Amino acid sequence: MAQGKWSLSSPTAISRRRAVQGLALAGAGAIAAPALIGRALAASRTIKLGFVSPESGPIASFGSADEFILAGVRKAIGDGIIVGGVKYPVEILVRDSQSNPSRAAEVAAELITKEKIDLMLASSTADTVNPVADQCEVNGVPCITTDTPWDAFFFGRGGDPAKGFDWTYHFFWGVGQIVETFTGLWNAIETNKTVGALWSNDSDGVAVSNPVHGLPPGFIKAGFKLIDAGLFTPLSNDFTAQITKLKAEKCDIVTGVFLPPDFATFWAQCAQQGFKPKAVTVAKALLFPASVEALGDRGVGLSSEEWWSPDHPFKSGLTGQSAAELCADFTKATGKQWVQPIGFKHALLEVALDVLKRTKNVDDPGSIMESIAATDYQSIVGPVSWKKGPVKNCTTTPLVGGQWVKGKTSKYDIQIVNNAAYPGIATVGKFQPIAYGS
Amino acid sequence: MTVAALTIVRATPSTRLGLVFIASLVAGLLSAPLWATTDALRLLIDIFLYVALACLWNFLAGYAGLVSVGQQAFVGLGGYGLFALSAKAGIPPLLCVPIVGLAAALLSIPIAGLLFRLRGAYFAIGSWVVAEVFRLSAILLTPLGGGSGMSLPARIAQSVGRAPHDRFVAVYWTALALLLGILVIIFLALRSRTGLALTAIRDNELAARSNGVNVGRTKLIVYVATAFGTAMIGALIFLQRLRISPDAAFSVNDWTALVIFMVVIGGLGSFEGPILGALIYFLLRETLANLGPTYLMVLGAVAILVMLLAPRGLWGLVRSRWQIQLLPLQLRVIPLTKH
Repeated sequence: MAQGKWSLSSPTAISRRRAVQGLALAGAGAIAAPALIGRALAASRTIKLGFVSPESGPIASFGSADEFILAGVRKAIGDGIIVGGVKYPVEILVRDSQSNPSRAAEVAAELITKEKIDLMLASSTADTVNPVADQCEVNGVPCITTDTPWDAFFFGRGGDPAKGFDWTYHFFWGVGQIVETFTGLWNAIETNKTVGALWSNDSDGVAVSNPVHGLPPGFIKAGFKLIDAGLFTPLSNDFTAQITKLKAEKCDIVTGVFLPPDFATFWAQCAQQGFKPKAVTVAKALLFPASVEALGDRGVGLSSEEWWSPDHPFKSGLTGQSAAELCADFTKATGKQWVQPIGFKHALLEVALDVLKRTKNVDDPGSIMESIAATDYQSIVGPVSWKKGPVKNCTTTPLVGGQWVKGKTSKYDIQIVNNAAYPGIATVGKFQPIAYGS
Repeated sequence: MTVAALTIVRATPSTRLGLVFIASLVAGLLSAPLWATTDALRLLIDIFLYVALACLWNFLAGYAGLVSVGQQAFVGLGGYGLFALSAKAGIPPLLCVPIVGLAAALLSIPIAGLLFRLRGAYFAIGSWVVAEVFRLSAILLTPLGGGSGMSLPARIAQSVGRAPHDRFVAVYWTALALLLGILVIIFLALRSRTGLALTAIRDNELAARSNGVNVGRTKLIVYVATAFGTAMIGALIFLQRLRISPDAAFSVNDWTALVIFMVVIGGLGSFEGPILGALIYFLLRETLANLGPTYLMVLGAVAILVMLLAPRGLWGLVRSRWQIQLLPLQLRVIPLTKH
């Protein structure tokens, strides 16, 4: 039956094999028909969702909440969802990308050809999202992704704003919001407005440092002087040259994109060289409590983008839980401190279910696409609607500025200190320059 | 006591049976697009590509004694070549495959000039260093996406076949043709003068040299031929992946460590070994891959067990226990008349 989706993209290509399969199906249906009488409104099949996420490997922390989130969503789905008056059971097929873009492409191809999924979901970093979305685009499978800047998703895949993509949609914040948030933080304290920047040479770093649609022109436009130390090779061990440059230029502010271990190396070498910027606001490296704990007390005062927190005033449209309730449940279930991906993993699944519930004909991928494009949904990460995106296939979610402080119940906590871009999200503390001990 | 007349043969009843088996297998695989599902084709393509990589590495390491851990250099080169030629120069993707193979073969000659100065472990490390140089160079190639890599535009992937099934069929034919071509060439090479020289080098390089084998030239032929095949396989791998990045293209884990695993458990230095090893790997992957880290531990345990219990690989074990051979490659001495 799901074979039908292939013929949609090429109505003429009905091979002998498919015809034989169709006959076999019809035959089986004729034999099984008596058994099905009386269950007219029960669906004849299961709706299948593919869910690709990094659960092992270097970026496994992004997938650390998957099990908890999936358990909650599966419970909310129960024995099925109603699509077009028919109740369908829903199966979520989870695949681990092993933090490897090749593996992500492989499992995506398998989900598409073997499991014949109806809708693909992928999340966490461009290295997971992009290969999966590419497979869906070429094979004509509806796909929703999140948890990587939309610029990396769109431009990183060679997207053309005039045309966009046919099958792949994305929701997350983008580079423009980072500019607003970071400069908002820096304007809150007194500095010489000189920003030093370093970028990890990977999918996210390349997208964010782009001289045309990346951060650099944004910072300059906001009145900051930018000292660009350029791209560095991920997992390199020596930042001496960059630090010397930033120190010589007297940068009060340091920004950029780092992997957590790279930032730990960089920050330790800053201390060795006696480089003491007033604000260090970096993307990607400071998202998880574990990354900050690895820095010890030198992690206090560092700042980062904050995509989501228990203090965000949003509720799940699926379970009705508030952000704070979801985080509390996570801590209760796992004994661990909340992490930012929790909200987005949940949001990805609830958006997918909302899309399916509004789909007219679930057997037609085109109908699922129409439903995706028409989305206007209140999720646990805020409103999601592709009608008002920066480009055709992308929509943005709120972004605020966070700073790491000593925690009350946990070792370190990130708290919202700037809400310039989204005044609806209340700040919890005030942005402070980094305090250096003697 | 009568002295039996002796003769030397390659073909034995088991190789004759083997040829029948192989012929029917090839016939089955050739007709697969008629009966297999898209998913089965996808899996078969994956298997073909890895079997080819394993056989090529075995040709290099098992016969020519060139234990390279840098074959990912050519896989990545093939992948990047395909993306550059098809996305930037508009050449049809399947036509790019032989072109990148030729380019890699040409490039492998100066690399060989560099690496052949090194021996044994130094050669292995040197080959890895070359692959790392390739990876770091790819990071600097901004037109091809730099460190973030690039996607193959959907229209180019669809030029291979509009509907997904047609695309899989086209790639399937190419992969199968490539695999059979590689196997036939290795088979013929092993039965030729070069093959004799290679077997001599495999068994004892010094002895081979003293018997007049031109070791350097023989090794160069194998190295260049392997680069040619590996790059073409790499191009097909990334045509299937649809996205390339320096870390994925030049991954030592994916394109060399796994391949060594296959060859070692199958049997280094035998024609059939790497094929068996690749099939065992896919059996493990298809059944256990969802176990996450446990799966990798199982792979490790299998490798250790095979190395301890069957140092010549599983095919070596089969061959020595039952005296069977699928292909007429080994010379045997048998009595002409029975007494």
